[in-house]
Amino acid sequence: MSTQLSRKEFLSAAAKSAVCLCTPLDVGRLLPSMAFFAPPGQEPRGDILIAVFQRGGMDGLNAVIPQGEIEYYRQRPTLAVAESNGGKASAIDLDGFFGLHPSLGAFKNIWDAGELAIVHASGSPDPTHSHFDAMDYMERGTPGEKSLSSGWLARHLQTTDWDNDSPFRAVGIGAMLQSSLRGPVSATAMQSIAQFHLGGDNQSAELAQFQATLGELYGTGSLLDATGQLTLGATSTLEQVIQSNYQPSHGAGYPDSAFGQGLLQIAQLIKAEVGLEVATIDIGGWDTHAQQGALEGDMPNLLQDLADSLAAFYTDLGSYTQRVTIVTMSEFGRRLQENGAGGTDHGHGNVMFLMGGGLNGGKVYGDWPGLAADALYGPGDLAITTDYRDVLAEIVQKRLANEHVAEVFPGYSDMNVLGLARG
Amino acid sequence: MKTLNRREFLQLGGITAAMTALAACRPLAEGAAAPTQVSGEIAPLEYDGEWLLQRTLQRISFAPTPDEVAHAREIGIDNFIDEQLAPDSLDDSHMEAILAPYSTLQAEPAELIDSEQPYMPLAELTAATLLRGIYSRRQLYEMVVDFWSNHFNIYFRKGIVRAFKTADDRHVIRPHVLGKLQDLLLASAKSPAMLIYLDNAQSTADRPNENYARELLELHTLGVNGGYTQFDVQEMARAFTGWGISRLRGRRGQPGEFYFDDQNHDSGEKLILGATIPANGGIGEGEQIIAMLAEHPSTAEFISYKLAQRFVADEPPTSIVSAAAATFSASRGDIALTLGTILHSEEFKASLGTKLKRPLEVFLSALRSTGATLAEISTRGSGRNGNRRGGRAALADHLSLMGQPLFLWETPDGYPDYAAAWASTNGTLARWNYALAVAYDQGRSVSVDWAALAGDATDNTQALDALTQRLLGGRLPDEAQAIILNFVGAAPLETSLPAMGALILSSPFFQYR
Repeated sequence: MSTQLSRKEFLSAAAKSAVCLCTPLDVGRLLPSMAFFAPPGQEPRGDILIAVFQRGGMDGLNAVIPQGEIEYYRQRPTLAVAESNGGKASAIDLDGFFGLHPSLGAFKNIWDAGELAIVHASGSPDPTHSHFDAMDYMERGTPGEKSLSSGWLARHLQTTDWDNDSPFRAVGIGAMLQSSLRGPVSATAMQSIAQFHLGGDNQSAELAQFQATLGELYGTGSLLDATGQLTLGATSTLEQVIQSNYQPSHGAGYPDSAFGQGLLQIAQLIKAEVGLEVATIDIGGWDTHAQQGALEGDMPNLLQDLADSLAAFYTDLGSYTQRVTIVTMSEFGRRLQENGAGGTDHGHGNVMFLMGGGLNGGKVYGDWPGLAADALYGPGDLAITTDYRDVLAEIVQKRLANEHVAEVFPGYSDMNVLGLARG
Repeated sequence: MKTLNRREFLQLGGITAAMTALAACRPLAEGAAAPTQVSGEIAPLEYDGEWLLQRTLQRISFAPTPDEVAHAREIGIDNFIDEQLAPDSLDDSHMEAILAPYSTLQAEPAELIDSEQPYMPLAELTAATLLRGIYSRRQLYEMVVDFWSNHFNIYFRKGIVRAFKTADDRHVIRPHVLGKLQDLLLASAKSPAMLIYLDNAQSTADRPNENYARELLELHTLGVNGGYTQFDVQEMARAFTGWGISRLRGRRGQPGEFYFDDQNHDSGEKLILGATIPANGGIGEGEQIIAMLAEHPSTAEFISYKLAQRFVADEPPTSIVSAAAATFSASRGDIALTLGTILHSEEFKASLGTKLKRPLEVFLSALRSTGATLAEISTRGSGRNGNRRGGRAALADHLSLMGQPLFLWETPDGYPDYAAAWASTNGTLARWNYALAVAYDQGRSVSVDWAALAGDATDNTQALDALTQRLLGGRLPDEAQAIILNFVGAAPLETSLPAMGALILSSPFFQYR
């Protein structure tokens, strides 16, 4: 087919800010089949899962404070958060023993509504204090083992009893796909919906043809073909479904942070019903070796961002929360004893937060091992009494309707059901 | 870490800031098999007798210029490699004028600490690094600078690091990248930027901070499987107490220089990797440890693996890693010799054309291979990110969108170097948008003289041949040629050339080196 190109129409000011393309594409030429929504009979039977990874090793002991532990106050003379006394400079009491860091105040309503669950003294049992190894093991879902190259979420998606062809079945927010989604499933990495299209302001028919030609070039046998096709499929879906001026619902106010804005993208995808099943998102900066701050400073700021963003997201979703489960994790916790720089070194046991309408929330799960010297792990860390895979496996099974947990977490058979989810 | 506002996140102009937080820690399987990979089994360009030369040049430079191709033909590719491994012998004086406008490059940290334009050093070091990549004749040298910058990664935006990282680039990285590893390690251990970034500047005998000691072992020398223990980390942290910065915390000297503070040093005996470090060794303890690490066989393996990953393949054959490690050990850590072993090897030749370009290589190769002209530097002014109102600086936004804004990787492991990390939908889309930008920008940031690249071509078929020869170093497979020619049809060269250029730059064929 010959094309007369008009120079004026084709030229693109690609660096200008984004406007959604409205030219319909011949999508059929690009992909063999594509469902915007999962077709009837193949609709995902479970919740949409949001997996949040806190990069750097969150200090769980200052996030969910064991107020009843004298060692907590002894070992953290400058960093400890005071026991709840009703004031802003103290913990927010949860159950008479544990208290929330005041910067996590936005979680309290959700806790009171029974839709926030906490698992303390949890994590990956591997003793490594290396960020990179710990994250790697956690995302592969095989602590101590690197022989499997897939991530636990990819294996979950691979083993569900249904199919979902949507290019947005699995989305990683960020420039690079999180390792938990790596594997023999299609996953889309994106930073924001607004910029996820080809060609800047250009809306010409010629750009559409250019896009189609790219589809052909990414069909000539290169191993980038699959990624190319997925990219084109994802941009087409977005064009046809997403509005450019999204307004959050129910008065939700997202923080201006990257994490908050990333959750905003996920909320849009959920409400657009494009077949999203799993979304992964990172929040970084948790490696607080120095001057982490007790009530003010780096760590409280991070906690504020975490809670305010997730609370806004939760509010924005409205009734979708009944079909959403959010889980947080971090590669390890931090040492009980504060160090000489007003911070904490790499530790072991940590906190996981879960939110969703299908949870038995309002409770801190797990056996609390205590902070006495003989109860600590290694060089003085909080011990782990709940393997993080117990938490994830229960979610996979009860909320994500996938019975194949043994394939999602191979080599792990000692599963302990906490009862934190219904289903 | 600072939070970002919504404007910064959503606008392309602020995308560098957004990338900072979004490009948070990437897990990397150090020293072990990388995750599922997209390997480069693409349809090769037609072999026309020059395949080895062209592909080698694409691997050891950001893209070869016609002059470099001619020179390599004249002296032979092996001699060309050796020439590039001795960069001091190559005249690069034209770079002086190109880099002259960027005054923070030569500034001392003390001048930058209280600067009224705190975002300028990052903007200028980024610009300088990119300009060197585009215009320097010492192409391999610049690639190795990039390698070691990543290896000794420092996040530019951690607090006051912004006043010190440029000096680290100037004094630690650039003078040592093809020399002895031990010299590079020692310079890095004394680098104020590194001491701040990994918290060693605040490590004292009373409360030692393990961060630097751990990364020195795990990321800089032995590698995570290199055979050290948590006890070694703690002992090393003790040894490096007192390694700090002058005029920080009341120390003497010129502000912002390395300063060994005996008062804060833990002078007791230490046991590290089986070796006893006697008490009261002062600064000599850390220096002795650096020497020990540089000579350690695990270091030879680990460094060789990383160099082979960069210059050969995501999962380099064990044979070349071993050969390089042998050279490394025999030469007591000579990086140029080790790299020479890699670049002259059969494994290197066998791997040509199969390594996925990272965004930096896409960015630079597009500009070099098209002979693009950059617009003027944007006017300086206020604005949190050093002004993105047009001019050449706007082009660097694409590097951020592709996922590799320079000096903004937050964690000490540096940007990953395997295809699965880069072959994402987001990254692919950004590469396509960059290709469109280069082809069609018309001088706002960059301009390409497509007619000059087409040379004597009188029709689209001849023009496509000329372009692929210039941009890819060969001809496209027939199927791909037909697809591109079908797109432009009978359009005149004036409109077909940029379109063909954009398609080539977007194609899978341009994504490999």
